[in-house]
Amino acid sequence: MAELYDFPYKRTPGPRAADREGAELKDYTKETALRKWSGMDLPFFLLVMLILITGLVMLLSASFPRSYYETVNSEEGPRPLYIFIRQVIFSLLGTGGLLVITRVRIEVIRKYSFWLMAASIGLLLFVLLKGISGGGAERWINLFGITQLQPSEVAKLAVVLTFSDWICKYGERMKTFKYGVLPFAAVLGILSVLLLMQPHLSATIIIVALGFIMMFAGGTRYFWFLVFGAAFFLAAQFVMSNREWLGEAAGAFKYAIARIDAWKNPESMKLEGGWQIMQSLYAIGSGGLLGLGLGQSRQKYMYLPEEHNDYIFSIVCEELGFIGATLILLLFAILIIRGFWLALHCRDRYSALVVTGIMALLALQVFLNVAVATNLMPSTGISLPFFSYGGSALCIQMAEMGIVLSISRDIPDK
Amino acid sequence: MAAFMASEKPQKPGRAIFSRTLILLIVCGILAFIVLIGRLYKVMIIDHDKYESQAVEQQVRETTVNASRGTIYDANMKILAQSATVETVYISPVEMLKYKEDASLIASRLSEILSEQGVTYDGVMKKWSDTGSWYKTVAVKIEQELADKVREFKNQYDLKSVHIVEDTKRYYPYGSLAAQVIGFVGTDNYGLEGLEAIYNKYLQGQNGRIVRATTSEGTDMLFTGYENYYDARDGSSLVLTIDSTVQYYLEKYLAQAIEDNEIVNGAMGIAMNVKTGAILGMCTLPDYDLNSYGKLNDSALAKLSELGLTGEEYDKAYAEALREQWRSRATMDTYEPGSTFKIITLASALEEGVVSENDTFYCGGSIEVPGRDNPLHCWKRTGHGTQTLAQAAQHSCNVAFVNIGMRLGASRFYDYIQAFGLFDKTGIDIGEGNSIWWSRDVFEEKDNLSQLASASFGQTFNITPIQLITAVSAVANGGYLMKPYIVARVLDAEGNVVDNVEPTTVRQVISEETSRRVCAILESVVGSKEGTGKNAYVSGYRVAGKTGTSEKVGQASDEYMVSFIGFAPADDPQIAVLVILDSPSKDSGIYISGGVMAAPVVGSIFSDVLPYLGVKRLYAEAETDNNVAVPSVKGMGVAEASEKLGSLGFNVKTVGSGDTVTDQTPTGNVRLAAGSTVILYAGAEKPSDTVAVPDVVGKTYKAARAYLELNNLYASTTGVHPSNADTVVVQRQSVEAGMEVARGTVIEVSLVDNDKTIMETTG
Repeated sequence: MAELYDFPYKRTPGPRAADREGAELKDYTKETALRKWSGMDLPFFLLVMLILITGLVMLLSASFPRSYYETVNSEEGPRPLYIFIRQVIFSLLGTGGLLVITRVRIEVIRKYSFWLMAASIGLLLFVLLKGISGGGAERWINLFGITQLQPSEVAKLAVVLTFSDWICKYGERMKTFKYGVLPFAAVLGILSVLLLMQPHLSATIIIVALGFIMMFAGGTRYFWFLVFGAAFFLAAQFVMSNREWLGEAAGAFKYAIARIDAWKNPESMKLEGGWQIMQSLYAIGSGGLLGLGLGQSRQKYMYLPEEHNDYIFSIVCEELGFIGATLILLLFAILIIRGFWLALHCRDRYSALVVTGIMALLALQVFLNVAVATNLMPSTGISLPFFSYGGSALCIQMAEMGIVLSISRDIPDK
Repeated sequence: MAAFMASEKPQKPGRAIFSRTLILLIVCGILAFIVLIGRLYKVMIIDHDKYESQAVEQQVRETTVNASRGTIYDANMKILAQSATVETVYISPVEMLKYKEDASLIASRLSEILSEQGVTYDGVMKKWSDTGSWYKTVAVKIEQELADKVREFKNQYDLKSVHIVEDTKRYYPYGSLAAQVIGFVGTDNYGLEGLEAIYNKYLQGQNGRIVRATTSEGTDMLFTGYENYYDARDGSSLVLTIDSTVQYYLEKYLAQAIEDNEIVNGAMGIAMNVKTGAILGMCTLPDYDLNSYGKLNDSALAKLSELGLTGEEYDKAYAEALREQWRSRATMDTYEPGSTFKIITLASALEEGVVSENDTFYCGGSIEVPGRDNPLHCWKRTGHGTQTLAQAAQHSCNVAFVNIGMRLGASRFYDYIQAFGLFDKTGIDIGEGNSIWWSRDVFEEKDNLSQLASASFGQTFNITPIQLITAVSAVANGGYLMKPYIVARVLDAEGNVVDNVEPTTVRQVISEETSRRVCAILESVVGSKEGTGKNAYVSGYRVAGKTGTSEKVGQASDEYMVSFIGFAPADDPQIAVLVILDSPSKDSGIYISGGVMAAPVVGSIFSDVLPYLGVKRLYAEAETDNNVAVPSVKGMGVAEASEKLGSLGFNVKTVGSGDTVTDQTPTGNVRLAAGSTVILYAGAEKPSDTVAVPDVVGKTYKAARAYLELNNLYASTTGVHPSNADTVVVQRQSVEAGMEVARGTVIEVSLVDNDKTIMETTG
């Protein structure tokens, strides 16, 4: 089975000093496509599984009432476990996928990354056209009637893989505007437009932020980030100070502005946009130091919307308290730090960038989700990786972890 | 590619990669989480209480468990007010829609079962139409029996939108007895008037609660068993000082007086334990049925309909009239007490030693008072001549009392008014009005004694009835001003005494010696032939008292308040009774005077209440009851029987020619007015037919007795001793005129002395 595979890439050195200082890079261009089972970073894998299982337990707790009340009047009677069971099935599929991917050589993935990006854009266009014909916002693609796929999830991974590829190719030229900014900005611009037309603000924010992180890691000059930052700041100022007529002019703005208003003052807007935020704060605040106990949430009884999805962390806080919620955040933090540690130790640059991107993406999602739940930021629909309900997203996240683990096999002396 | 690689400086970019990755590690892996955990700390620890309380507020629903309201007992533990369990039916449109229940079926069945409660099909359908509501009341406070029918219907169809909850309803077994004192509760079992309102805190107890966490739809949570029970604590009960028997007599005779004297504006009465200040009875007439407090009493309704109002104005007037009928005028309203106040003047003057029983006072019909433009007239314009102190009281002579007041002086007089508590509220445990007086400065003006002069005989100020009886009780009981009270004990739900009210002495105002002297004088007001209070006389009891007749202040048409305050027995006073009749009609033909109208009411009350209270009937040597028991003389010789009856003061008439008495009319052991003619049958058949009762009301006693005898009936008397006065007339007869009764029946007649030369009216 150890079939030789022709890789078109030369390895560029990873971030480690030892690699930089002329240590010879093994030529991997003639290698088997699949790796052996050995060498995977065990702490990272165990952390992923621990978070996944914790997430499943919390999903069971959070989704139970809604599953129960939604099905209680159905013909088959109450099925309080149906959300949980679906997530378990996808967890198993995702874990299987992860294990398979850990054996796939990163170069294989790199080779097809362009096509993944092309596919993402195609899917986004498809969703957009379907949405237009369907007469409303559409973010999902039905996958064989089993689950639904959000093209933006695929696009995120595509951004990590393709941007890393380009960065490696451009090398020193990343310092120039032509290479270091223009191609990335162009791709991010296309993706943003497609996403905003859905409209899908949260995915836009994540993808743009992720793209910038990749550029940052890849060596784009700080100057350009200052320029982007200033431009963003001025644009935000302009929008907020002209909100009245902008809100009337464009529906998308109106939607965003309403959320910002609700974020600033959720209590006074409790019956309008602030409802969800207040319910989330009630849940989190009720948790206190030690929480109400696993399964003891009250806010999940149809007070908090999306309690098994975007706001599952609020239920975590309510049930497990400050200590439990902090421990779960620390699990994520440790996983991310371990991921970055792997990135720092990667022997080649592409691997390091991919791991950095995947970890940054995970950190972004966790941060934005918890920040929204605690009203640190205006609400946008961002799910919590490994916790929120959603089969395709979970599978893609598991695949991303699989890629990191695959890369980890390259790193000796872990 | 190779060329590009070669152009790379190997070290710098690598270091840049390393440092930028490290920055990302720190930002993504450490800083981001510090921010998040900090934020969690803020929301979960610092703001915990705020969010938790708001969350609990929306998550928790409370069900109230009604505490049972305490009972109100009279002094003998007879129940005056009691709560019983009833039920309230309500429907929930939200649940009706949720469970898809048949609204019209429910409406038709409910309107069928509860038709008497005014529930209609359309009414229920209208309630269903409020689809966002969880709670629409259909019928409140229905009896258990009806509720069971609703329950049966509910169970039959397993209805989730029909609810039956327990509630309580207040019952007043005696209806209108002491209505304004007891008061009533509203539909929410909260006391609204009288003792029910004032003691609501004690009576209502503490409602229990079932607190449970629910889903946002109000249903139970699945496993989160958050439920808390707070037990209901039943209300305390009150034991009143009011004795329902005393109260009954008070109300009965007041109502009688209203009828007899054509009183226009109702009446007030208070009976007080002289020694303790405990209220034995208190009433304001006309009263109302506590069980239907929202209905106007007949007389108020009649007055209202005379006004001829319609629509909103009528409703407003109706509501106003309701408030009027609920008011305890005996404590809330003030009036000019008139001559009854002379008791206070007299007691103060005797205590200060400025007058004595040996002093004489001349009344020429009027008196010059410094500060007045015209002389002050006595009610008797022709004057009372020279009188002793006791006579001045008996005559209720205004001129004499102006003199007494002047001897006392404004300053001292004012001090006594204060000492008798007439400036302050008495402290009784139901609502009281405020008295109205001249300020001390005005009262004590050196060159204007008109205030002092008028106050000496009870005019130009206003006090409440409860203030007067409290002050007079102080005069009677040895000088101790007591704090009047109505609630004697508070019992907890198990019947244990939690609060026992002891009589409270506010202060001693006059000496016991002075008290005895005033009592003796006041006894003579009732007991002497010239006494204005003689109509309050009750044979066998030593009644003391004082009449009062005053013009109502500020009334355009001259309306009067006639009153009498009495206490008994005079040598050891136990009970004081004040009655006030508001505005006797001028058309009745009855002489408007407290002595004629109010004194007999007090006499009647005493004649029933004193025996009830166990006060022994003792006849003074000089005094006899006007009624004498007829002995049975059957079987005696006629001559012997005649002699025996004659010695008792009866006339004898014999029918038949036998030697022994075969029968007699009236039969033995009946009490008859002295001087009646007893018929003895000596062999002759005693007739057994019936006769019609004649009307003797308004006739003099002698004429009435003779008239009854002419109709083969007998008289017995109550009220004033007839003596031989021609001014004693029949006020009331026990059997109505025109009724057929057996020959020889004894008709009880109530007597009053209607002597206009004696009976005072206002000056």
